[in-house]
Amino acid sequence: MEKGEMYVGWSTKDDVRKRGGSGGLVTSMLAAALEKKLVDAVVVLKKINEFEAVPIITSDINEVLNSAGSLHSVPSHFAKLIANKNLKVALPAKGCDVRGIIEQGKRNAINLENTFIVGLNCGGSMHPVVTREMLEVMYKIKPEDVHGEEIEKGKLIFETKDGKKNAITIDELEEKGYGRRESCRYCTIKIPTNSDIACGNWGVTGDLVGKATFVEINSEKGARLLQNAVDAGYIQIQKPDEKGVAMRAKIKGVMEGLGQKWKEKIFVPMDNRLEYFRKELEHCIDCGACKTVCPTCSCGDVSKCTEYHSRGDAYKMSMYHLVRFLHLGDACIGCGQCSDVCPVDIPLTRLYRRFANPIQQELKYEPGMDMQKPPYFEVKLNE
Amino acid sequence: MSDNIYSTICPGCNFGCGLYIRENGSLDVDFRKSSPANAGKLCRFGMSLPKFFNPAKSMIDGVETTMEEAAKEAAKRISASKGSVAFLSLGNTSNEELLAFQKIAESYLCTGVNFEALPKDTYQTISIGIPYNEIEAAKHIVLFIDPYEQYPLIVRRLLLAKTKGAKITAVWWKDLMLADENIRPDDISKLALTQDSIIISDFHPLSDTEQVKNVLSLAKNAGAKVTFLKPFANSTGEYIISKDTKQKSLAQLIDDINKGTIKTLFALESDIAALIPSDTLSKLTNLIIQAGQASSTKANIVIAHDPLYKKKGTVINNEGRVQTLGGAGTNGLEALGIIAGSKFDFNTLHESIKKTIGITAVDEFTIPKYDRPAYGAIQAAPKPVEKKPALIDVYNPFMWFDLADDNDFVELNLNTVRALKLLKGGTLKIKSNGSALEKKFKVAPVQDNVLLTGKSMGIEKGIITPVEISR
Ligand SMILES: Cc1cc2nc3c(=O)[nH]c(=O)nc-3n(C[C@H](O)[C@H](O)[C@H](O)COP(=O)(O)OP(=O)(O)OC[C@H]3O[C@@H](n4cnc5c(N)ncnc54)[C@H](O)[C@@H]3O)c2cc1C
Ligand code: SF4
Ligand code: SF4
Ligand code: SF4
Repeated sequence: MEKGEMYVGWSTKDDVRKRGGSGGLVTSMLAAALEKKLVDAVVVLKKINEFEAVPIITSDINEVLNSAGSLHSVPSHFAKLIANKNLKVALPAKGCDVRGIIEQGKRNAINLENTFIVGLNCGGSMHPVVTREMLEVMYKIKPEDVHGEEIEKGKLIFETKDGKKNAITIDELEEKGYGRRESCRYCTIKIPTNSDIACGNWGVTGDLVGKATFVEINSEKGARLLQNAVDAGYIQIQKPDEKGVAMRAKIKGVMEGLGQKWKEKIFVPMDNRLEYFRKELEHCIDCGACKTVCPTCSCGDVSKCTEYHSRGDAYKMSMYHLVRFLHLGDACIGCGQCSDVCPVDIPLTRLYRRFANPIQQELKYEPGMDMQKPPYFEVKLNE
Repeated sequence: MSDNIYSTICPGCNFGCGLYIRENGSLDVDFRKSSPANAGKLCRFGMSLPKFFNPAKSMIDGVETTMEEAAKEAAKRISASKGSVAFLSLGNTSNEELLAFQKIAESYLCTGVNFEALPKDTYQTISIGIPYNEIEAAKHIVLFIDPYEQYPLIVRRLLLAKTKGAKITAVWWKDLMLADENIRPDDISKLALTQDSIIISDFHPLSDTEQVKNVLSLAKNAGAKVTFLKPFANSTGEYIISKDTKQKSLAQLIDDINKGTIKTLFALESDIAALIPSDTLSKLTNLIIQAGQASSTKANIVIAHDPLYKKKGTVINNEGRVQTLGGAGTNGLEALGIIAGSKFDFNTLHESIKKTIGITAVDEFTIPKYDRPAYGAIQAAPKPVEKKPALIDVYNPFMWFDLADDNDFVELNLNTVRALKLLKGGTLKIKSNGSALEKKFKVAPVQDNVLLTGKSMGIEKGIITPVEISR
């Protein structure tokens, strides 16, 4: 097995395959890595209900096997969870998780050699509180009655416990302010080729639809992970058909195009930018959550943004935000975590991306996509 | 390897913010985005919880011991000073513990607030607030609080209300960023209320009863709705559970300790540093504190039980939403059982709580239907505000829990700065009751001659303290 190869595979454990997002391959691959001591720990989501799950770091194979399934309303992020812990670990990772992990790697907070990143294709995630409201307002169903969820032909379908399927197009939902988180709409990392192995359901065809996972090996580590799971008898794989490979590439292109369109729609050029930023930030309560959660920030308690800032200052825009705008210019990966946690609902990701889009374009640098050094690291101060 | 993760409720106030606490060598706060009250968002205090949950150690007269021994010794001293024992709980623990505590405390219970001074038909209105989504849908919102400093998670609800067309009026000493109209407390006569107005005020141990009555009567006369935010994780539960119990006010408790009729004080999960002057506390023969985290107050006996996030049990937030604390710990009840002389059974207490609230199962997504009886006409006699310089304490979670924050300054306006010829980056002298302080200041749109502080300065006499100020 080697980089660039693609397979279609599934878990050999029937219940894992059934519960899995597509074929339960990811879960089984993670469990096999743990069993065969490729890693000491695995990160998975511990499901509480359809709209809630907690990320855990575990060495318990059963806990890993229990985690099979995709939770679209759990916009978690794993990079900071494993940072500074010096773990030999394997974990599932959406595009933004992968990017955060790589950026932490560049900042020496994660040892990438010891980190097996299982990428998940990602069309976007939803905020659980928004999803609950959407179910009640748009679908007219009680969140507690939801049994499962799928995306098919541009529609978001919720299956209720009575077996009924309720479908509404994602376009309609997003027009009404529901659906995916804003940052996911313009995210263009749909297949995480920056991970060790990218897994998803795009490209699975025929009878295997819904019963298999499509994988693409992106690194030697990815090959080891897959081979280990095959050898351990946890998964079964076969070569994908050409139709599937082509279909996957096509969907990727369409999704990236859609992301680009959203980007243009949201980031319309504006005058008086300073006033816009000042206004958006005026309700900030200095909680610091946006820094704590940011997967590309690896400063501890002592960092420039907090050290230069005092609550006693009366600046129109705090030094905290000014320093962060500057620092995230080359680092922001647009994961949306900061907007999610801001207690006064400041659309922070939008603000950071306003800075980061032109800077990253100008510097031809996409953080978290490879090991290229962040341009700001290269800046040499004149004597 | 597996993390210890607790899905719990923030102890910082009664808003009911859900979060995860992750125990893995150190303590970490994690965002519980599915939490209905806060969508996972936390304020400055919530983000500081690892500092707050500084573990307590059981002690008898300064010597470390086990929880059981500390509780036994407490039981001994409590029964030895029968007739002069007071029991204080501000509502910072589970309903189940509070119910057990109340059984012990029948003789002298203090919940910190002065319900006795208010008409009984207002208890329900004061105890249980209006659901946040109703606030979001309001046409007119009147604030008698500083939401940013005191109850930060209400800010986003207010901003959402504004995007839906609400007008916000603030009756406060400082212009509030989100208000469309700012009225100073002295100019309250300018406040125009209608049936479409929702008043947001707060109710806590230092609330001025006449001011609370005034807010109630303003609402009554206009037919407006009123909601009181509260500072402790389970203030609402505490008030519901104790509504038919005879209680002593905090002022009475302080008075009784000063007079010497109360010699032993047993405080359950209540930080008394912010409430009882240290010279009063020093008059006690026995101060017994049962808590889940260390406190700055020196006690004769400390009974260290599980921190809130490890406890089994329920709390009720300001909306009346019943929430689970998330842990499995019941050693708080065990300690209370030792003091009572008979064991408490969690399930019995829990069932009793459910019956009182009128629910069959705990579900954080439903707000039980509480009766909201209309209260009768109220006579209020709020004190006129003196036109002298005053230091006003803006009580926030850091203050209630005596936790350090980056707020060692006072806010004042430019007129005051000019009148006193204060220098940029310099300090201001504040004098009161023979004490003098020098403080940094921040210029803000505050009322003339008013200093606002979010940190206790140690010279205060209640919320508003007349002071002399100079350069
Ligand atoms: C938010 C989201 C959106 C997705 N969108 C697409 C898409 O548009 N196209 C596509 O081809 N594939 C998408 N996927 C991937 C797909 O749903 C499957 O996860 C993938 O095919 C692997 O299937 P599996 O059965 O092998 O995984 P499983 O065996 O079910 O294992 C899934 C693993 O992912 C973890 N996980 C579940 N939810 C999340 C989450 N929200 N964040 C992080 N980790 C999680 C679980 O803990 C588990 O370890 C998405 C996945 C997620 C989580
Ligand atoms: S930011 Fe991108 S990768 Fe992350 S959850 Fe959203 S769509 Fe998925
Ligand atoms: S600034 Fe916000 S969007 Fe950008 S990487 Fe940090 S948390 Fe993610
Ligand atoms: S999360 Fe929001 S309120 Fe908190 S510091 Fe960041 S911008 Fe300010």
